[in-house]
Formats: sequence, structure tokens, C-alpha cells
Amino acid sequence: MAEQRESTDIQFAVIGSAGDGTIAAGDILKRAMAGLGYKVIAFDIYPAEIRGFGKCISRVRVTTEQAYSLKRHSDVLVSLDDSYAIPHVGEVCDFGAVIYEASPIARQPEGGHITAHIRPTQLPYGLNQREISERATNAARSRNIVVLGYLAGLYDIDPQAFRDVIADKFRSKAAIVTTSNTAAFDAAYEVGKTVFKLDQGSLGEPVHAREGETATMMTGNGAIVRGCMDAGLDTFFGYPITPATTILERLAAELPKHGGRVLQTEDEISAISATIGAGYTGARAATATSGPGLALMAEMLGLGVMGEIPSVVFVSQRGGPSTGLPTKTEQSDLNIAVFGGAGDAQRIVLAPTNVDGCYRTAGKAFEMAEKYQTPVVVLLDLYLSNRYETVVPPAKNPFAPSMNKGLDAWRGEGAYQRYQKTDDHVSPRAVPGDEGGMHTVTGLEHSEFGKPSDLPENHMAMSAKRHEKLKAALTHPDFTICKRFGDEGPVDVGILGWGSTFGEILEAMFAAQAAGIRCSAMKVVMLSPLPEQQIVSFMDDCGAVLVPELNYEGQLANLISGALGRPVTRLNRVTGAPMQVEEILAEIRRLAQAKAA
Amino acid sequence: MTELLKPVYLEDKLKQVRGDGHLQYRSRSLPTWCPGCGYFSVAEGVAAALNRLEVALKDAVIVSGIGCASRFPFFMDTYGLHTLHGRTLPVATGVKVANEKLTVIAVGGDGDAFAIGGGHIPHAARRNVDITYMVFDNGVYGLTKGQTSPTSVQGFVTPSTPYESHDQPLNPLMMLLSYGAGWVGQAYAGRPHHLADMIVEAIAHRGFSYLHILSPCVTFDKTEMTYSNLDVRVRDLPPDHDPADRMAAMEQAARTAAPALGLFFSETRPTLGDGFADVAARATGRPAGKTKAARKK
Ligand SMILES: Cc1ncc(C[n+]2csc(CCOP(=O)(O)OP(=O)(O)O)c2C)c(N)n1
Ligand code: SF4
Repeated sequence: MAEQRESTDIQFAVIGSAGDGTIAAGDILKRAMAGLGYKVIAFDIYPAEIRGFGKCISRVRVTTEQAYSLKRHSDVLVSLDDSYAIPHVGEVCDFGAVIYEASPIARQPEGGHITAHIRPTQLPYGLNQREISERATNAARSRNIVVLGYLAGLYDIDPQAFRDVIADKFRSKAAIVTTSNTAAFDAAYEVGKTVFKLDQGSLGEPVHAREGETATMMTGNGAIVRGCMDAGLDTFFGYPITPATTILERLAAELPKHGGRVLQTEDEISAISATIGAGYTGARAATATSGPGLALMAEMLGLGVMGEIPSVVFVSQRGGPSTGLPTKTEQSDLNIAVFGGAGDAQRIVLAPTNVDGCYRTAGKAFEMAEKYQTPVVVLLDLYLSNRYETVVPPAKNPFAPSMNKGLDAWRGEGAYQRYQKTDDHVSPRAVPGDEGGMHTVTGLEHSEFGKPSDLPENHMAMSAKRHEKLKAALTHPDFTICKRFGDEGPVDVGILGWGSTFGEILEAMFAAQAAGIRCSAMKVVMLSPLPEQQIVSFMDDCGAVLVPELNYEGQLANLISGALGRPVTRLNRVTGAPMQVEEILAEIRRLAQAKAA
Repeated sequence: MTELLKPVYLEDKLKQVRGDGHLQYRSRSLPTWCPGCGYFSVAEGVAAALNRLEVALKDAVIVSGIGCASRFPFFMDTYGLHTLHGRTLPVATGVKVANEKLTVIAVGGDGDAFAIGGGHIPHAARRNVDITYMVFDNGVYGLTKGQTSPTSVQGFVTPSTPYESHDQPLNPLMMLLSYGAGWVGQAYAGRPHHLADMIVEAIAHRGFSYLHILSPCVTFDKTEMTYSNLDVRVRDLPPDHDPADRMAAMEQAARTAAPALGLFFSETRPTLGDGFADVAARATGRPAGKTKAARKK
């Protein structure tokens, strides 16, 4: 069956070795397309080892309508190294193009050339990558730019957009780098324009952002950083770990420009400890890590819960357990985020589902940490942290600069009580420097004064206080804790999802709807406290409930069926790669048929 | 025992204590320590030191870990943060990084410091974060009832080492000196006036200061670090000791049989806060100020 390609939805895959400039080519491509006003989602895969070779793939999906995930099939594959690209020829859809080196320098062994693998339904474009590069620049190094020029010519894309990005990308290098790369681009552009086209492929008109808005491209981690900056982050403490490291690195560059402070600590225990220490002084403080670091932080998060100290922890998940799959994506740290640590230690856990959500969630996490005096864990994953999307940042900073209930709110008689009972269970919080607010915060169970107390009625009351106060987070202003998409009212199949996988879930839902299945999907952004009411009423509408997750145990499925006592159908994958839309769709179909039968 | 040569009359003592103002630093909670515990002298010493340095109650933060020693913040009327076992220093670092204006004092026992928290000490020292760290060394785990600690003598018999401990004790002063700590001193709970003086100096030092306090646990150590043993073992640093000489300080620190009291080492160098000022200057392109010159030294 020929998959009909829409000209306004085209996915490029550039494949080569690390030394070929594969990732750089993908980067220029996505930036140029975003600059033209297209919507872009992009995700790179590179080898775990640091070295000059190893397979790199840069996938860039360019659309005019909003897209929510990458596609399983690419429309155009660009090979910078056949040995790496050959296994991926199969991912090119029918009538999709494969662009490859037409005159390889070495004689290829039988089957070593990509042309032997291109199917009759795919469109082969041989391009003299090396020769064009050498002619334009006296070196073969610009092959990655040559393929971009060719693409621009072939698909009739404004070349100036590329030239601008090339100039920007090599700004810090000698001027000759920009000139020679631009020359390579231009030469290949002419070739692409004049080549005999095997299809009518051209991109539709881009959709520009509304007047006064500028779309920019960001990764999930980039959006987290931006959210932190807009929320007025004061201090950040971190210890490098994939895939969270870029949060530390970018904040290290950005925060000091705005009066903030970043410290690389000796380990994650130290990072969360310092974050809690800073939070105690009233600062907005955060740290970022991955699963192994979160495991180390668990005890200190408990102190944050017990002492009611605000802090924000960004956790970008990777494959686990233990060191696991450091460069692969997974969603298997939900359990530790929600439950990790000693005792009854509920905290707020949020999981954005896309790059725009990363920005909002980051900023709101600081509001919530302050307002409810608690640690807030923001769960990301490698796929979300590293993927690029075009987003339109809000014109006005959407985050409240302070939500602290300070010493001013203290209305008590006599000595100040840090943990005073109040209607909303949140007590006025004095911080060092406040006259008359002196107290000691402790991880021991304590009285309203903060004095250690293990009396039974006190521990009962204080446990209730720490849990009850969090319920208000379910109605935190201007924040989507969960949201339903798709068909309204009763549906055959409902899908519950969280984190990055929700993009694939949405795409699968649209496909199922197109196939005539009544279907809707709900994203759960707040995972603790759980929006039980909303989830229950969603489930009431669903014939069957599917929970696709990138973990083996079904951690959200367990959370929901545990808390609500309702059965769900699980779909669990731990391949290290994002879930495939088709896999979800197949499950939706199966459930819909089972219901019909 | 020079301090006790004159008889002390309660009335006079009370008048004197009320008059000098240091009582305001003590909270209404009476220490829960065993009578005779060395920690009482430290509480008195810190109150006296803060009073002498005129640190406002609201601007002082005492951070501790877990242990008998770490109960300390509850007995002071400043801001306090009683954290987790071993995490005193990173929490204190976070407090100071977030608010430079605060006087931050970190306290804990020898187990809190050199067992579970040992990994944090070198980093606080090399960063030169402007806080004071006081370790109350009783050579035993007090709170958990008498097990061996990293500073216990070899062959120590405790409930967890009923057939004698095998491990050799650490030498905390030597460690701190080699970690690059900018201020290293030692005091003894049995000499409270000297202790108070040392606390004043440690707090006044600009940068990371480490004060090691020998402090008997009267309940769980009846044989080793007792007052009677320490009274005869401790000595003063030689009058010609040069606190600018790190190697000489190490030589003194190596003589563990006769622990020396006093200032082992002191140097001033840019603090972590200075470092942040430099970073801010570079990030914003504004002049770096005077901290650069200090770094050259
Ligand atoms: C993570 C953790 N492990 C163990 C303990 C139990 N614990 C509490 S205090 C302590 C040792 C106390 O010894 P030290 O630090 O020397 O202080 P001291 O009580 O002698 O003043 C231990 C092991 C704990 N609270 N937390
Ligand atoms: S057990 Fe030892 S260290 Fe603890 S309070 Fe008693 S005497 Fe002091």
C-alpha cells in the first residue's frame, strides 16, 4: 500500500558518521526550516562513546500543521556514509527519496553500495557530494553542506534561509569557513534545482507565527533553562549526568548574566543538599539529574518534605536500572520520583509532554515549590530533553516572581511558630534575616514550633498537614494538570499517557479517529498528587483504557490502577527508543475490535 | 584548671552572664545532652563568640547533621537547620551561596563529618566557602549509643567492635590541612575560655575555617578520650609556631599522642563568593573588581 505523502509533512533523516558533520547538517536544516516559519520536531541519535566515528542520525520533521512526534517513516534519507545508512533505507516511505554519494572513492564490495538496497518504490538521487564540495572549497569536508544545498534546490526551499543559518553557525570561526561553506551550498543548490525530479515534491507554504510572535526552536532542556530564567531562578547546583547535563551547562552560561549563581558540586547528594540549603534561605533553587542521581537524592528530598523547604529537581530519565542505558530514552523513574525515599513523603511530581510544556512546567514548578513549601520533581526523559521543537515563547513572562507565604502572614500570639496550623495547611515561613522568625528546621518530626516531638497525635496531625496542603496544587493557577484530547463523550478506546510518549499517543489517536474509531487521549502532567477525579471521569467514558509507557513495569498503569482500583491495558516498551505511533495504533485497533466483538 | 582557682558564687555568675548579653543567643530549650558532655562548653563558646562579634540573631544560621553534636542548633536562638547525617557542609554551602550576608556555622560529630560526610569536606575546603565548620570529636558515636567512629583509637571495644576495632583512626587536622583549608585550629571542651576565643577567630576568618574540638563523651567512652586523659595529653602549640606555614602545621598535626591546641594554619585567599563575583563580571562583561588581584597571591 502506498503511503500517500503530504507535501506539508516531510521528515528528513541525515545519517552518517560523527566525523561527517551529520548532526551539524541536521542542525542547519532544522534551523533554516524553523526560520522559514515551518513547524519542526527534530531528534538526534549519536553514539554513546566519545570518538570521531560511530553512527549519527539526525531526524527532522517539517510540517505546516502542528505535529506531535517524529514519524516512523522518513520521506527523505540523506546518506553521508552508506555503511551506516543502509540499515535505514527501509525507513524511507514509498515515493520517498534516498540521496547518496554517486561516486564513492573506494570500490564497494558486493552489496556495499546503497543503491543495492533502495527499493523500486523509493526514489534514488545520486549526488556527487565529494566532487561538488571539492570543486567549491578545495576540500571534501563540506559534503554535509552540499547535501543541504541539494535538498534546498530539489524541494524548492528558499536558499537564503540556509545561508543565514550557515553564517550564524560559523560566526565564531574564521570568515573563510562561512564563505567556503556557502560556496559549497550554492553550488549544490544549482545542481538540485536543475536535476531531473522524480516526483513533484515541494514543500507547502509555511505557516508563520502570528503578528508580534516569534517562533524559536528549542530542546526540552533548553526550554527548561528558559523557564528557570523567566521564573527568576537564583541558584542552581548540579552534577553532570546524561541527559541532564545540558541544563547545568546552559545555566552556567546564562544565569550569571542575570545575577544568579551556578555551582558544580561533588555529587548529587551535595547538589540537592545545597539546593535545599538555598531554598531554606528563601531563594529559588534547583538542581537537575537523571535516575541514578535521583536515587542519591532521595534522602534529602525527604528532609525537604519534612522541613517544608521549597526546591525544584529536574530529572531527565534514561534507561535503567543502575547505570543502565545512559544515552537511550526511557520512562522508568516515575516510581522513584513519586515514592522514592523514607517515610510518607509525598511531594509534587510534574511531567511535561512537549518542549513548550517544559518551559511552562519549569517556571510553574518554582511557583508550586514556594506556594506549597515542598520539593517539586519535574520528570523529563532523554527524548524530550534532547528533541527540538518550534515554540512560540509567551510575549509576557507568565510566572509569578514570588508565591512565598512569608513572615508577614504570621498573625499568631506570642512566639513565632514555623509549622503553625492554618486553614490551607501552609504555614508562614520566616527565612534567615527575618527579625523575630528564628527557628530550627529539622528532619525530626516536630511540633508547630519546630521542636522535635514524637507524640502520636502530633505525628498524625503533621503527616496530615504535609499531605493535605499539596491538594491545592491540583488547582494551581494557570497550569494544566491533565487534559483530554480527541472525541468527547463516550469513546471506544481512551489512552492515558505521560511525558514525551504523549506525542506518539496523540498521533496514534488522530490516526485511529481517521480510521473511524471513537477515541480520546488524556495527558497526565501532575503525577503527584494525582488528579484522580479527572482521571476517573475520563475512564468512565472509555470502553477500554490503554496506557502506553516506555518502561517494563507499567509504572503509570500501576499508579492509576493502584490509586483508583481500575483495570487498564498496558503497552510497555523498553527499546531505548521512543514508542512507535504504529504500535499504539495497533493496540487501539485491537481494543476497539475486542469491544465491538 | 586555672579557671577554677577562685570560688564561683552563683549570684555573681548569673549577674555577669546576664550582663554580658550572650544568653540571648541561647534558646529556651535546655540541651538534652548528658550532664558532663563536652558539648555544653561549645554551646557556651558559640554564644559568647556570636555575642563578642555582635552577630545579630537573625543573621546567623547554624547548620548541623545528625548525632548528639548535631542537636546543637536547637539550643541556640539563631536560625537553625538540623539536616541529615553527613550532609552538614553541602547544605551550609547552599545557604551561604544563596545569601552571602548570613553568618553560617556548620557543626557535627566526628562520625557525621569523617564517616558518612567525609566526601564533602575536601570540597568545602577547596572552594573556600566562607563558613565555619566545627567538628565535635568525641571519638565515638554518641547518639547511636557507643559504636566506634573514624577517630576512635585502634583496639577500641564497643558494641559494634566487641573484639576490638581494627581500623586505624583518621587524622582530621592533617586531612583538612592537605585539603587546602584556609583556617585550621584545634580546641578542647575542657578549656572553655580558649575554646570561645578560637570560635571567635574561626568565625571572624574570611573563608572556610575548620575548628576541631576535642570533646569527651562521658557516657560511652570511659577509657580513651576522657577529661582526665585529655587534660594531661593536650598541649599548647609552640610559641614560635608560624600559622602561615602549612608544612609546620602538618608536623604539629602529626603528633597525635599530644594534641596541640591553638591556630595551626591561616591564610586568606578569594572565597567562593569572590569566585561568583568574578564569574558574574566575566559573564556580564563588567569589571571584575579587586578579587582578581587577590587571586594572584
Ligand atoms: C543515613 C543515616 N545513617 C545512620 C544514621 C544513624 N546515626 C545517627 S547519629 C549517628 C552517628 C553519630 O555519631 P557522631 O556523628 O560522631 O555524633 P555524636 O552523636 O557522637 O555527637 C548515626 C550512625 C542516620 N541518622 N542516618
Ligand atoms: S551520649 Fe555522649 S556525646 Fe551524646 S550527649 Fe551524652 S555524653 Fe554527649
